[in-house]
Amino acid sequence: MPFAQLVSSGLERALNKLLQLDPDSAAKLRKLKGRNLQVRVRELPWPLIFHFSDEISLGVVVSEGSESARPDCLIELNLETLPLLQDSSQLSALIQQQKLILIGDIYVAQSFSNLIKELDIDWEEQLAKVTNDVFAHQTFHSAKSVMLQSQDFIQQSREIWAERLTKEGAVGINQQTLDQFSEDVVKLRSATDRLAARLAILEKAHKA
Amino acid sequence: MIVSNNPQATEQNNQEQTHFGFKTVDKTQKVNMVKDVFQSVAAKYDIMNDLMSMGIHRLWKRYTIDCSGVRAGHKVLDLAGGTGDLTAKFSRIVGESGQVVLADINDAMLKVGRDKLRDLGVVGNVDYVQANAEELPFPDNTFDIITIAFGLRNVTDKDKALASMYRVLKPGGRLLVLEFSKPTNELLNKAYDAYSFHLLPKIGQLVANDADSYQYLAESIRMHPEQEVLKSMMEAVGFEQTTYQNLTGGIVALHRGFKF
Ligand SMILES: C[S@@+](CC[C@H](N)C(=O)[O-])C[C@H]1O[C@@H](n2cnc3c(N)ncnc32)[C@H](O)[C@@H]1O
Repeated sequence: MPFAQLVSSGLERALNKLLQLDPDSAAKLRKLKGRNLQVRVRELPWPLIFHFSDEISLGVVVSEGSESARPDCLIELNLETLPLLQDSSQLSALIQQQKLILIGDIYVAQSFSNLIKELDIDWEEQLAKVTNDVFAHQTFHSAKSVMLQSQDFIQQSREIWAERLTKEGAVGINQQTLDQFSEDVVKLRSATDRLAARLAILEKAHKA
Repeated sequence: MIVSNNPQATEQNNQEQTHFGFKTVDKTQKVNMVKDVFQSVAAKYDIMNDLMSMGIHRLWKRYTIDCSGVRAGHKVLDLAGGTGDLTAKFSRIVGESGQVVLADINDAMLKVGRDKLRDLGVVGNVDYVQANAEELPFPDNTFDIITIAFGLRNVTDKDKALASMYRVLKPGGRLLVLEFSKPTNELLNKAYDAYSFHLLPKIGQLVANDADSYQYLAESIRMHPEQEVLKSMMEAVGFEQTTYQNLTGGIVALHRGFKF
């Protein structure tokens, strides 16, 4: 089975799905219409080529097809450099350090990077399309509160342990701390259960 | 008219006769018989394709496009293009300055293709032409790329069709033939035979209520020239730098040749 094509097909589908969910992306994509961008990530076995039209067509650059003309823009980089591209003021430094090779029209690379960076998807609205507004709102409310509680929990635990471990003396825990910890776990668990129950209902409704 | 069931019969044996699957029929009849097959499978063609190949045909087609070197502005002929899977992808890549011609001998397949592509929003740079691969109705040196995917084995006179493709290709252009071929591993060959002769017609019966057409498809796959033979056939009509790539163990092969 052509594995590279399986990967590019999955990526293409996911990218286009995401773009469809953001009503503003069509206008941004239009700016790139008719252009292409080749991306060589050094750790990956095959370079990818993005062709832009009303959607993104993603191809694998195979040696059998490589006699074709140069792409409009080619970028070559390591995986670790990829996140650094977010900050466009870093580009020339990255090029100088040879962490990034950029050949051709930089506008194509920048527009593509903006398209992805500025994707603005209203997930609550997307969920509301398959369920109803109230349900979607409640589910998101639950998800958000689980997120917040988890963050609080992690932060508190980190603080408690940091304090314990840096304090001189025994690493023992007093009863009050232990009670607080258990209470937090119970709270978090019930919030997670509520979210899981909601998701189960959603899944059932979707299947029906 | 069916006069023999000999699987070894080839069109070279007799000027007047050719194979239709394992059967030997008059050459003049084959075109219509193939037409009937695709007339009858047209509506269910896409779903059957997915079922029969377990979706892998999409990857074989993607690989074909990756090997085509297509870019904006190119003129592409998707020959025996049927329901237009390759056309849809090519159309997006060649853009407004390019053109794709979806050509097929069968109007039912073309119609399904046209409706599907319209639903996908593929419009503007695609033309639909009913044409026989053996006598392409285009001027010499017209196309940058020609693809024929799972079509050549249905063509009565393959040499004539290849010569016709060579004529309409621009110098520097390339032909890509994606077609079922001979698995390289004997075990896979056996498994594949069992699948195509026993399971395939049954799936055809169940889903499309048409076991005969799918029996023909299985037989025509077996009768299609294997890798090296097709390569020589391409060279004989003038193609250069011909190569082929076996995909999925040789169940399918992608042949490529250039006109210089
Ligand atoms: C198996 S389908 C392939 C369709 C499409 N290329 C794909 O890969 O999905 C074969 C197609 O070849 C067409 N065909 C058969 N004989 C032909 C000929 N002599 N000239 C042009 N097309 C032909 C049939 O009508 C049919 O649409």
